[in-house]
Amino acid sequence: MAQITYRQALHDTLREELLRDEDVFLIGEEIGNFEGSYKITAGLLKEFGPRRVVDTTICENGFVGMATGAAMLGQRPIVEIMTINFIALAMDEIVNHAAKIYYMFGGQCPIPMVIRTPGGGGQQLAATHSQNLEVWFAHVPGLEVVAPSTPADARGMLRTAVRDNNPVIFLENLALYNVKGEVPDGDYTVPFGQANVTKEGKDLTIISYSRMAAVALDVAHRMEQENGLSIEVVDVRSLRPLDTQTIVNSVKKTNRAIVFEEDWRSFGVGAEIVARVQEEAFDDLDAPVKRVASIEVPLPYSKPLEQAALTGAKQLVDAVQELAPRRRR
Amino acid sequence: MPEITMPRLSDTMQEGTIARWLKSPGDKVNNGKKMGEIETDKATMDLEAYDTGVLEQILVQEGATVPIGQPIAIIGSGAGREASPKHEEPATVSAASSEPTEQAAPATSPSASYIQRESVAAGESSDGTRIKASPLARRIAEEYSVDLRRVQGTGPGGRIVRDDIEDVLEQQRAKPAPAVPQPQPAAPQAVPAPEVPAHVAAPPETELIPFSRVQSLIARRLAESKQTIPHFYVSTEIDMTEVLTMRQVFNAAAGEGGVKVTVNDLIVKACALALEKYPEVNSTNKEGQFFKHTHINVGIAVDVPSGLVVPVIRDANIKGVRAIARESKALIEKARTNKLAPADLEAGTFSVSNLGMMDVSEFIAVINPPQTAILAVSSTRKQFVPVDGQPVIRDLMTVTLSADHRLLYGATVARFLQEVKGFLQNPYSLLG
Repeated sequence: MAQITYRQALHDTLREELLRDEDVFLIGEEIGNFEGSYKITAGLLKEFGPRRVVDTTICENGFVGMATGAAMLGQRPIVEIMTINFIALAMDEIVNHAAKIYYMFGGQCPIPMVIRTPGGGGQQLAATHSQNLEVWFAHVPGLEVVAPSTPADARGMLRTAVRDNNPVIFLENLALYNVKGEVPDGDYTVPFGQANVTKEGKDLTIISYSRMAAVALDVAHRMEQENGLSIEVVDVRSLRPLDTQTIVNSVKKTNRAIVFEEDWRSFGVGAEIVARVQEEAFDDLDAPVKRVASIEVPLPYSKPLEQAALTGAKQLVDAVQELAPRRRR
Repeated sequence: MPEITMPRLSDTMQEGTIARWLKSPGDKVNNGKKMGEIETDKATMDLEAYDTGVLEQILVQEGATVPIGQPIAIIGSGAGREASPKHEEPATVSAASSEPTEQAAPATSPSASYIQRESVAAGESSDGTRIKASPLARRIAEEYSVDLRRVQGTGPGGRIVRDDIEDVLEQQRAKPAPAVPQPQPAAPQAVPAPEVPAHVAAPPETELIPFSRVQSLIARRLAESKQTIPHFYVSTEIDMTEVLTMRQVFNAAAGEGGVKVTVNDLIVKACALALEKYPEVNSTNKEGQFFKHTHINVGIAVDVPSGLVVPVIRDANIKGVRAIARESKALIEKARTNKLAPADLEAGTFSVSNLGMMDVSEFIAVINPPQTAILAVSSTRKQFVPVDGQPVIRDLMTVTLSADHRLLYGATVARFLQEVKGFLQNPYSLLG
């Protein structure tokens, strides 16, 4: 066990996978000489050379297409899209090519490609550089979408992603890169489609993913001490496939739930989770499931306005207080 | 303290029979794990536990039939029956469950008991508006027989939530005993299986043949079919020489481990193609009206220890013979191991019953309602046939179509049979 940052966990995993499998290579903008906009790929060009760490022009549709083609021929590309905002340019390659080729051509070639990309706001990067667009991909069959919230899960899930034969959207978050956490030793993996109950509780359940799952855990611990509330936290970790069973089991236990998400509320991750909860745990619900999400505006640049638009701990605390049952269990 | 009720396992299911309990009172049960088997009108299906705990009580014994929704067992913490107010069953339940034994039509009993329970728990307020209560509060209220009309809701908009029900239960516990209804230890009585006459003592040297639920159902449907459908029969002989040769070549090409196509698979395909041309034969009857179907779903009669089942190969006209072979093999295997799902048995539009492997020269089949026709296939035998005035040995097979004369007439059926014959005598047309 060692305490490392989320950034370090990603860096170390990429390096190990490059060492482990010759077919693995990295491709993206500024990942070589500049060592990555967020320094995830620091030192890797020097160690592995330009055939394994490929700097590209600013052309997302081009290099995602190249990576898809390389994957068809048996390579295992790990693409970095600098932030999820730029992924719009590569939508056709991802949605119409990478996600479909295995299905449309008789299963001749899988697409073992990983697209790493950070989402999230709060850095004063304004409306076009602060988005959470993961639902676009979670909606598409043929893709897998995962969003770890801790360095340990980042490491375990990135290993799974690289070794998986499907195209994987690996969602990171700008505000998670400096977060530290315990990371187990050894070559462990974290399977997709398995949510993690990061804290057990009896009074209500908070369901979340990515950075908000980390915030939820903090809030739950704090409110347990301050208000005597027993809150269960489910970090879904993987949006597609989504582990409905763990979510439903938790709701059956606590009877009340909040979905906490950084994306916009309408048609968001919470909408899907709430739908599944009411389908499978209707008779166990003691209140409508709440969604705590960001205000539906293009995110402002101004710091106070940005803070007002983004969801966070304060909004979650308010929601918990509104939803908590009178009697403690 | 969850109560397990007879689940609804198919669209048409109204009641179910406990085929087997795999757990006994006192055993631990786990959420998602099989705890018994239930026989429905279609198939035997698993009863899964939806809670984890200890099976405290079996309310309905093996072999008994009860309507859906009736409690059949209780899962608890294992703390024992006395600890649970659950067993202070509301008077309404025992009243409802004592009735059905006298009722002529058991199918009406679920609704009766359901309505009575609803009026207490879910109910309406005195002014007729629906009481606002969370699904969980409603469920707990029903379990503990709490009258929602007497509960003050403290949730948003006056909604009754679990806390409110627990307040009431706490008050009840604080009160002296008479306030609580007296325990009613008797388990709800099972409704007898339908169609099974009252037991008559077996005379000496005879043995009563007990009918399973499936057997009762088969008996009822066959009797209904033969009594209400005006059957008529048309037979023909089909020369199978070519198709048998083709089958041999075809199967040899499949190699080791490939799926072998049976004669029956080819007959199914031939019928499906002929039904495309004569869609009237591909009809079903519902309440006296006939419906012609675009999907051609061919049932194949499979003999199983408990009687006869007819799993269905859907859209057989557009499936290749290998696909049909693979599917029929899987269905027959499922039928023999009692694993057919209701979906495997639904939506048939025509049936084939084949006794060819049993050295049968000729037989006729009973129409499988709501279908309007069934083809009975007999054994293929070598016979001398005159060809250009000379006796030649050919493989001949007799088939007999039973058809519903309300819809179908001799000429249509004869043309349909000619079409089937044409496909089997020019077998490469089956591979198109």
